[in-house]
Amino acid sequence: MSTLSHRPASTEPMGAAQGNGAQGLVGLSAPRVDARAKATGEAKYAGDLQIPGLAYGKVLRSPYAHARIVRIDASRAQALPGVIAVLTGDDVLDINPYYGHAIKDRPLIAIDRVRFVGEPVAAVAAEDPQTAAEALELIEVEYEELPAAITLDAALAEDAPRLHVTELLKPGLFHGLGELKPQPGNICYHHAFARGDVEEAFAKADIVVEGEYHFPAVYQYSMEPHTTIAQWGDGEITVWSSCQHPFLVRAEIADLFGLPVANVRIVVPYLGGGFGSKSYTKLEPLTVALARKARRPVRIANTVDEAMVTTRRHGMKAWMRTAASADGRLLAREVRCWFDTGAYADNGPRVVATGADAAPGPYRWEAVKVDSWGVYTNTSPAGSYRAFGATHLQWIGEAQVDEIARRCGLDALQIRERNLLRPGEAVRPGGKPLDADLIGDIQKVAAALDWGTPKPANVGRGLSVGLLAAGAHPVSTAFARLEADGTATLYVSSTEVGQGVRTVFSQILATELALPVERVRVQGGDTLVTPYDRSTGASRSTTLAGLAVQRAGQELRAKLLEIAARVFGLPEEAIELRDGAAWHEGESISYPDLIRAHFGMVGGELIGRGEVRPEKGTGSYAEGPVFWEVCIGGAEVEVDPDTGKVTVRKAVSVADVGKAINPRLVKAQEMGGWLQGLGNALFEEMIYDEQTGQILNATLFDYHVPTIADLPASFVSTIVENEDGPGPYGAKGVGEGALAGATAAIVTALYDAGVRVTELPATPERVWRWLRERDSAAAGGAQSARE
Amino acid sequence: MLRRFVIHEPRAVEEASALLEAHGPEAAIYAGGTELLVVMKEGLAHFPHLINIKTIPGLDTIEASDGMLRIGALATHRAIERSPVVRDAAPVLAELEAQIANIRVRSTGTIGGNLCFAEPHSDPATLLVAWDATLRLTSRRGTRDIPAESFFTGLLETAREHDEVLTEIRIPLPPARAGTAYERFKTHERPTATVAAVVRLNGGTIEEARLAVGSVGPRPHRLRGVEAMLTGQRPDADLFAAAAERAAADAEVIEERFESVDYKRHLVQVLSARALATATQRAHPRETGGD
Amino acid sequence: MIDRLDTRETESVPATGEAATTIRLETVVNGRPVSAEIEPRTLLLDFLRDRLGLTGAKRSCDVQVCGVCTVLLDGKPVSACSTLAYEAHGREVLTIEGLARFGELHPIQQAFMERTAIQCGFCTPGMILTTKALLDENPRPTREEIAAYLGGNLCRCTGYWMIIEAVEHAARLMAGEEDRS
Repeated sequence: MSTLSHRPASTEPMGAAQGNGAQGLVGLSAPRVDARAKATGEAKYAGDLQIPGLAYGKVLRSPYAHARIVRIDASRAQALPGVIAVLTGDDVLDINPYYGHAIKDRPLIAIDRVRFVGEPVAAVAAEDPQTAAEALELIEVEYEELPAAITLDAALAEDAPRLHVTELLKPGLFHGLGELKPQPGNICYHHAFARGDVEEAFAKADIVVEGEYHFPAVYQYSMEPHTTIAQWGDGEITVWSSCQHPFLVRAEIADLFGLPVANVRIVVPYLGGGFGSKSYTKLEPLTVALARKARRPVRIANTVDEAMVTTRRHGMKAWMRTAASADGRLLAREVRCWFDTGAYADNGPRVVATGADAAPGPYRWEAVKVDSWGVYTNTSPAGSYRAFGATHLQWIGEAQVDEIARRCGLDALQIRERNLLRPGEAVRPGGKPLDADLIGDIQKVAAALDWGTPKPANVGRGLSVGLLAAGAHPVSTAFARLEADGTATLYVSSTEVGQGVRTVFSQILATELALPVERVRVQGGDTLVTPYDRSTGASRSTTLAGLAVQRAGQELRAKLLEIAARVFGLPEEAIELRDGAAWHEGESISYPDLIRAHFGMVGGELIGRGEVRPEKGTGSYAEGPVFWEVCIGGAEVEVDPDTGKVTVRKAVSVADVGKAINPRLVKAQEMGGWLQGLGNALFEEMIYDEQTGQILNATLFDYHVPTIADLPASFVSTIVENEDGPGPYGAKGVGEGALAGATAAIVTALYDAGVRVTELPATPERVWRWLRERDSAAAGGAQSARE
Repeated sequence: MLRRFVIHEPRAVEEASALLEAHGPEAAIYAGGTELLVVMKEGLAHFPHLINIKTIPGLDTIEASDGMLRIGALATHRAIERSPVVRDAAPVLAELEAQIANIRVRSTGTIGGNLCFAEPHSDPATLLVAWDATLRLTSRRGTRDIPAESFFTGLLETAREHDEVLTEIRIPLPPARAGTAYERFKTHERPTATVAAVVRLNGGTIEEARLAVGSVGPRPHRLRGVEAMLTGQRPDADLFAAAAERAAADAEVIEERFESVDYKRHLVQVLSARALATATQRAHPRETGGD
Repeated sequence: MIDRLDTRETESVPATGEAATTIRLETVVNGRPVSAEIEPRTLLLDFLRDRLGLTGAKRSCDVQVCGVCTVLLDGKPVSACSTLAYEAHGREVLTIEGLARFGELHPIQQAFMERTAIQCGFCTPGMILTTKALLDENPRPTREEIAAYLGGNLCRCTGYWMIIEAVEHAARLMAGEEDRS
């Protein structure tokens, strides 16, 4: 069962988006432009590409969490027939091998030290993958083990081994977080803000809820593991890679290898999912270095266990307290959270900042104080994963809101209706005020859950609402060519990770040009050809790159009108563009004829350009975000009190998207995000051995991701279109909110069912223990007023 | 990455046995390959000689006669799941087989391979132990039948000698007024705890009860103390609760990476109570006709 | 039934000291006979992707959990990542590239496209082939039967809902109950 609000069902059918006039394609569920290629197996991913002379790379990885490399002897591997090159740290000493878009703390291959199990120590290029694998076994590495800090607590201890000399680290090219100050010990980054007098607010509060919470490291599991091909040419580097942000990769590669950015080309084929795991720079520097040594194009394709140590979601420990008055007015919140960023910063600083932004929740506070730290540990590096920050903190804040509601006799909907921010109110000190109708949204969730109706034993219902700073840095460009035959080609660098960005862009351009959508072709990202786009992530593509596409279309449209006016001998206002032609009353001139008229004979083309940049200021994190993505969800769960197993009976999402350019794709984002949120809530967790730093569940046997068997029995998704977004037609991004909303809604539903979740995932064993603790506490009859 | 091997294609069990003997520890029996190839790809084991017993005719037969269900060791999980003979004679086994792994593994994986690999989380093993099934092993030295419970000697270890080939699983069909139930609890790809119960009623009392527990320890095993306390008793909720509590205490449970020992004991208790109740219900001829 | 394969010795490789032996594989892939010399250790997935250039079947988990490498061997779904190419001897392999005939899409492909059951597309070939095996065996599956059969094919993008819808749609298309336009 599913519903789409604000939209009669009759406008949803597929295949309806053909031959419409201006605006006609926006809001229709056009079929995906890449569906046929993907349904026939023709779609090419980085692992499918064949280029002449391609060699196969394999990576030797550290077995130790923290060790000094005493000696590497690769001579036997080098001598193996079929081996082309063996790369070790010694091969990159002619360049500065340290990179990192936030903090340049990571060598592209271990130089003298390894800091996590799985860190690349050597790489082999060979004629075939088997030979490369055999060669790895012939490389001798002598390590001297060092004390390791595997957990947050170990890394934060007074006498903890230090991973980096943080005072010497340099900021990376794209952190966007203002001045990055050196931090003490193993602290990688600190983000804090405060307003109001927190101590005073807590002193006068009638109700205070306080607790410590844990969130696990999580594997994004994009089904295509990272894959990169690199070719080292005459002062030029070409990379084909499964990357979300080709321009940022290009800049880092150029910086590392000392080339102008124009000499580095990044080509992005289809991606088999990303979810943040392919954001920023991953396998590219190592692959380029190996290709440089091999003088051959080389492909490195991660296996799943390698992908797990390439990037992950941050584990986190948090302490939070919330104050309220007896009548249910939320007064103040104080939060301290520590994010485990692993051995290298990757996107840790931005995760830390986004987590801090999400921590208060979208409520009207008198006082707020948030401190958020990123911490280095001897584990695999953590970076982006869909809805980072919000997924970490929302479930905690929302559980505390529900506890306050219980103590003051309100229900979960009432307390939110009373305290949620309204549009235009400040979300945090500085930056964008609230741009969404949260109360309207949460009421829709409640309605879909049949809020207030009776429910069976062991069943709980939960609501959750939060905000996520979305959009990243607001710079995108696009251009479009209207060819002599009246077809259009769009050049834009947003990566097709599966979200349907090429489909949405073709709808936008077709709308602006009044062309049937089949006559628009969208080019994949290739930094030599397609223009700059900051990144594909943070739910930004439709909003920002989409706006650039719309502007490129508008520029073309203006040119067409200008030419048509000249040809017709009429003012532009008298002319309408429709169905690939300029019309005046009953008379039309097709686009090919207009182009011919403009250039004098057959040939030529018109070019439109679109640019998006910060409207004021610099577009920094503090000034942002571009928009607040609404993270909202509802869940009905059932708990088996015997085993602790949780079943989600009903999933609810509300996509507050401003304008749904393709409603079916919006719904697809909601459903996919929701199920990932379910995985985060109930079972996904990377388990590290706290002594050795090894991942104990590094296969899909042991790392369970949601399957069809985990599907809730019903899913209700509502699209809200208030046209209040900064993107084209009032759109704002979607894709991440459902994840954070779902995770938190499952937690609040469990709370409603009598389970107090303080650690995720809420595995059956944990739920069983919490239920036992509750029952023994109830039996003891003692319960403190404060927890 | 697989290291090199050669594949042998015997035409008879005796030939396979001779090859195993000739190549010693360098040889492994290769059937469905679903367990073996994964282990070899991971580099956890290597066998330069694979003896493909799928070239031996007649090892995948499924038939029931004279109170005995006989399943050839090469029968795939999928074949057992869909076999009309199994569905009729032992529906609990058909249901169990349908829950194993996924359709691809079930299409190629064989029951013989599953049992010989002795992965402690095997579903069929637990049920076969409760059923007192026997496993037929053949070598050039002859043929012997071994009770399922004695077949599993430890974690990934069986009583099969290196030159022996498991050819057939022999399940004595339950008599009238006997019921079977199988319960599993799963959070990962493989079950965390499995319990199989067989209950035979005579009048209002339990004439025989068998309870096998798997996945929580190194091998599936019967809980004879629990069985003894059930025998001769009237089945009711209190009895099953007491039996389940004893099952949790008696089961051999080992520490593994995920669930703790005390939680796994608790699961044994929950699943035992459920399995005993369902098996008793099924044993009652008016309920389901038993199986 | 599997025929006996010829084996012959070739040069040894110093890395492992094991003899590299090749065997002749005679199979039919997407309706076309294929004959090749392979090493016994060659995995069906590598054979299809590297030797035949059929890259529709993907590699992901490598342990038979995810299903992106699913191909049909004599109509039955198998994980090509963990199946020896040797097993294809004397049998028929169907990959996603062989499903459309003479440029006309199979109704299952059509249904996946029409029901937005495709996002990143990495699971799609395996999902479609598993669906084919299901519908060939059970032309009108219930929702529960679909879930049970496709339960071993992971998708990280869609949340599965639209895939289930597509399978139901495909069943109707194949039964001739819905117009394909």
